[in-house]
Amino acid sequence: MKKVKHLPFIIGILSCLILASCSSGKNGSNNVEGKTAGEITIWGWDVAADTLELATEKFNERYPDIKVKVENFNSDDVYEKLTVGLAARGSGLPDVLLMEDERIPSYTNQFPKGFVNLSKLGYDKYEERFSPSKVKSVKNDKGEFIAAPWDVGPAGVFYRVDYFEEAGVDPDSIKTWEDYIEAGKKIKKITGTKLLPIDISKYDGVFHMMLQQQGVSYFNEKGEAAITSDEAIRAMSVIRDLYKNDLVANIDGWDGIVTATVNGKVASVPYGVWYTGTIKDQAPDQKGKWDVFYLPKFKEGGTRYANVGGSSLLIPSSTNNKEAAYSFVEFFTTDVETQMLGFKKYGLFPSLLKTYDDPFFNEESDYFNNSKIFQMFAESVPEVPPITITKDFARASRTVSNAQAAVLLEGESVERELDQAEEKLENEIK
Amino acid sequence: MRNQYSLLNKIVIYSFLLIGVIISIGPFYWMFIGATHPSGEIFNIPPQLLPGDYLVENFISLQESLGMLKIIWNSLFIALTFTVLSTLISAAAGYAFAKFQFKGRDKIFFMLLLTIMIPYQVTLIPLFELMVSLEWLNTYSAVILPNLAFPFGIYLMRQNMKSIPDSLIEAARIDGAGEFRIFFTIVLATMRPALAAVAIFLFMFQWNNFIWPLVILNSSEMFTLPVALSSLIGMARVDYGQLMLGATLSTLPIMIFFLILQKQFISGILGGSVKE
Repeated sequence: MKKVKHLPFIIGILSCLILASCSSGKNGSNNVEGKTAGEITIWGWDVAADTLELATEKFNERYPDIKVKVENFNSDDVYEKLTVGLAARGSGLPDVLLMEDERIPSYTNQFPKGFVNLSKLGYDKYEERFSPSKVKSVKNDKGEFIAAPWDVGPAGVFYRVDYFEEAGVDPDSIKTWEDYIEAGKKIKKITGTKLLPIDISKYDGVFHMMLQQQGVSYFNEKGEAAITSDEAIRAMSVIRDLYKNDLVANIDGWDGIVTATVNGKVASVPYGVWYTGTIKDQAPDQKGKWDVFYLPKFKEGGTRYANVGGSSLLIPSSTNNKEAAYSFVEFFTTDVETQMLGFKKYGLFPSLLKTYDDPFFNEESDYFNNSKIFQMFAESVPEVPPITITKDFARASRTVSNAQAAVLLEGESVERELDQAEEKLENEIK
Repeated sequence: MRNQYSLLNKIVIYSFLLIGVIISIGPFYWMFIGATHPSGEIFNIPPQLLPGDYLVENFISLQESLGMLKIIWNSLFIALTFTVLSTLISAAAGYAFAKFQFKGRDKIFFMLLLTIMIPYQVTLIPLFELMVSLEWLNTYSAVILPNLAFPFGIYLMRQNMKSIPDSLIEAARIDGAGEFRIFFTIVLATMRPALAAVAIFLFMFQWNNFIWPLVILNSSEMFTLPVALSSLIGMARVDYGQLMLGATLSTLPIMIFFLILQKQFISGILGGSVKE
């Protein structure tokens, strides 16, 4: 009886909720006729936000009438605010926005009209200035620029020079993943240190690097799950062999990787170029003890190059100063000096190929064993194979991590786990 | 023998308690230690267990990177204003629900309780749009106002108000006191412990509130502590010294607030659970 008495109220509340969520309003297409003056706001995070801030000075020399305001958030917070803003038809969004490349497909898929199509504003003319893999990651499936390319994360293996020397391993001799495992065994035997850190049940980064160096990712050209390829089986088998030889330190998350790196728990870390900054900041006393080599190759083929991370700039369609926003994005991503600013000061590795002619890339880094590490990374950027990232990347990443955990921790077979993961993923993204 | 046994007993109990203390104090201590060291030293092995001398430097860099003083002011202003207004509303509404007879009283109360069960994700976007249409984006009002009628606070006050004897209120009425006078001078005076409990609860809620201020505040000079602290966590680089200091600064007020009012807090939470 009691329940029936309250029923009208429950229905009342539910209908309020439904009404609230379906409330339709006019589309936020109050685009004012563009003008290259006014104020634009940019959302970014971390050192990227600092770089954007620094860049405003030179930008204002060219566009004195555009005032730029940069707001610094945590990256996850930017996505949270962006999702709410886009769901509220663009209310409260900035004029320019920083986004990690791997997130772009899921946002453009969920909010197809959420961002300004940069190709329509003439960005196509800059295509040749960036590497093919970066260009691919900022275009939609029609081949139009949705984001303007900024930084990239060419991959390499950071290693401890002293451990390698102690174990008598010549890093130049490591050409294939088999060599890497052999080197790891030697180092383990002599120094007692494991070879690399992986957060086994959560981090698929090493696996993904191995796929990209062979020119594939988790999806084929049509956007279907493709994690049972020969390339994937090869990659997972190498990770399994690393683990079987007790060379993998199973750590927890980002902090775990940093801790293992700083405390000498691992002899090497395969990661993106931006990790140089992390090592330098968190282990200033290990100067000269670190160096880098390219990812080992698969003897079956592929390259030694991959990419980890990278971000780009987007313009939300709700901006009421599209011209000014585009002026900034165009200037920021194609001006060599500005790109070098972020790189020199904060280590944000530019994707603008012309920057690599800067003498700074030729300098030896005294922290990294006097090697020309940045030149090395720069040379790899144009060679990184372009891959297809879709809206389901995050989901694929989780599924693969689970498969990795099953293979390593529970000793399941590589083929079977990848098969199951692909099936699961296909069902989820249908 | 008996004495010895109880001594042994005591040792066991105290060592258990000691372990409990270490487990609960440990993280706070670690946070405080971290706040006094430069970032890199936090990962050292063996870990630093004694305070370092980097506290001032950390504070200066916090002030530079976030404008810490303004952030603390924002947080204090928002949390205190909210606490005062919302406690008053909770008390008034709780009083009405407990002591007045009006049509649909229990149904309204029931609906109020139902709103506790709506997850914030559901209301986030409509509420956000409402704020946009009021042009309240990036203002204190947008952070403070939407939660003012806080269902749990009202509920707690109602339960406590029920224990006020009707005869007391009736006596006041007979003596010619107006309703407002009864509420402010008699009801609130007898409800001090409950008010303290609700105030602490509301203060903590607003002080720690994260998602809503994050969504509604757009410029760094308006941020509250949790939002500002979150922006310290970078993609590849985190200054742990600054972060730990920020975390210390954001937990201190709650600890102090709680320690001062804990007696009231505990008796207030229990109040209303036993009815005479």
